[in-house]
Amino acid sequence: MRKYDLITPEGTKDFLFEECLVRHETEAKLYDIFKSKGYYELTTPALEFYDVFQTESGHYPQERLYKLTDSKGRLLVMRPESTMPIARVIATRLRDASLPIRLFYNQSVYRFESALKGRSNEIVQAGIELIGSASHMADLEMVSTAIEVLESCTETSFSLEIGDAGIFKELMGELNATEDERENIRYLIETKNYPALNDMLDRMGDTPVIAALKRLPAMFGGEGVFEKASELYSNERIDIMLDDLKKMYNEISNLIGNGKLTVDLGMVNNADYYTGIIIKGYLEGYGEEVLSGGRYNKLLADYGYDIPAIGFGVNIDAITKVAVKENPREVKSADVIIFAEDGFEMKALDIAKKLRTEENITVEIALCDDIESTREYARKKKIGKIIFVDNENLEV
Amino acid sequence: MTKPLRIALTKGRLEKDTVALFEKLGYDCTAVREKGRRLILPIPDGNMEVVLAKAADVITYVEHGVCDIGVVGKDTIIEMEGKFFELCDLGFGRCKFALAAKKDTDFYSGFGVKTIATKYPNVARKFFEDKNMDIDIVKIEGSVELAPLLELADGIVDIVETGVTLRENGLEVVEDVVPISARLIVNTVSLKLRQKEIEELVSKIEEALKNND
Repeated sequence: MRKYDLITPEGTKDFLFEECLVRHETEAKLYDIFKSKGYYELTTPALEFYDVFQTESGHYPQERLYKLTDSKGRLLVMRPESTMPIARVIATRLRDASLPIRLFYNQSVYRFESALKGRSNEIVQAGIELIGSASHMADLEMVSTAIEVLESCTETSFSLEIGDAGIFKELMGELNATEDERENIRYLIETKNYPALNDMLDRMGDTPVIAALKRLPAMFGGEGVFEKASELYSNERIDIMLDDLKKMYNEISNLIGNGKLTVDLGMVNNADYYTGIIIKGYLEGYGEEVLSGGRYNKLLADYGYDIPAIGFGVNIDAITKVAVKENPREVKSADVIIFAEDGFEMKALDIAKKLRTEENITVEIALCDDIESTREYARKKKIGKIIFVDNENLEV
Repeated sequence: MTKPLRIALTKGRLEKDTVALFEKLGYDCTAVREKGRRLILPIPDGNMEVVLAKAADVITYVEHGVCDIGVVGKDTIIEMEGKFFELCDLGFGRCKFALAAKKDTDFYSGFGVKTIATKYPNVARKFFEDKNMDIDIVKIEGSVELAPLLELADGIVDIVETGVTLRENGLEVVEDVVPISARLIVNTVSLKLRQKEIEELVSKIEEALKNND
């Protein structure tokens, strides 16, 4: 019995007309930005082995993966993200390529989101990866590209946020705690759950590291954060990270002006594999980040090729949604419709082709039985001009 | 004038407690007090707007960013989970999740898989998962206390305030699961885009809560 033949699976949807139009425009803008900076496109398969997403520096929770098996019974997943498959490609087929490697992608990712929350399990993501450089210049290139992307996507307000995954990792390195406690602390900092974080850390003693961890989630905002952070905790590595981040903040805030750039030292989200700078982009009118990325210097080593990298991904569906709301577009009808009398079909096709190429307009071929129904159809579809093709090539 | 901050309140007791708190902060909550059947109400002098919703919906609205802030019980947060910031413990609406069973029975005895009746299946599942215990969960919508009395379940996981209902039905708390109180939650993007307003409000609230203690 066919019970589900007329609906799509939960978390998926069909995109029609306007949404596709705006999505194409968004993608085209991003293509231009990425290509003009020397990035080359790649696509990876939608199906990958499960193992690709279970590495030392980051593994995908299995309950969020779409799984199936291949003909040999091996476990496959629908790719939940693009960075890890790209790391696999770099470590194998691009192993001998000269560095740095600049790549961009635009493809769907699949993951189970909480049900009944209006979220999509299939999202189109575009993004770039810059592999083989750990330099400050590479970080700057990434952040400034992220800004160009956000600027190109919206006419209203956007904001970009930077942080450094290293600071949290460094603090945790000096903390004596079990694996469970660590994950708990990370989660509480990520969700800025001050009361629970304080309760938990209070039980673990009163050391400078613990005091710093308590204050970490509140370390967000404008330039003032750096002053507060300097009193947070000091060791050589953290001082360097903060200096670098501050330098970046000053350089970038000159670029995009006031208020659009913020810092959050408490960004410790699920991005296990990030090791340095983290970036996030927000658009007014969308309740989650639309851009997210960072530096991941250890991930490639998990695939056997120890080189640094940085990248970000953009949620194309989210940007499309905001853009459609911001600037609704009518899907245009054809400019001209051509009706061919019996025996003049080839002539009609020829005229249509000429009009399309020479005048760059949309020409639709009428599939109606007669002239009258063609007129009726054109009226309904709001097509402004009808051409009847017979001996005379009559126009109306 | 910028868009008002939109605050989702859990209808009922948390709503009343929050309004009392806001009035203590000096906001004019007349519109909320005299709401009639309206569901969106202005707090004009605070450039805020109150939305009244059921607990679970408060989380949904905040998660999607259609409300910037929400006031909701920790019970709903644990049951629903979700992506938002949980900035402060408002102190009111205090109670706890507890495991309860018939009085004078040993809940953990025997080798059979226990059946738990609850309105909060995720809370119950997680509690027993941490104990590495397999259980059968039966979701009950109304008075959960009935299930062990009717012998459908060995125990219940439910919100316990005073314990009177349990006692009057011959049940007792076997073990506390987790304490509960009202929380102020904030959408992750709103906190960043409207940091100043939200932080001002939060620090005012924290100030008032401190004076309460």
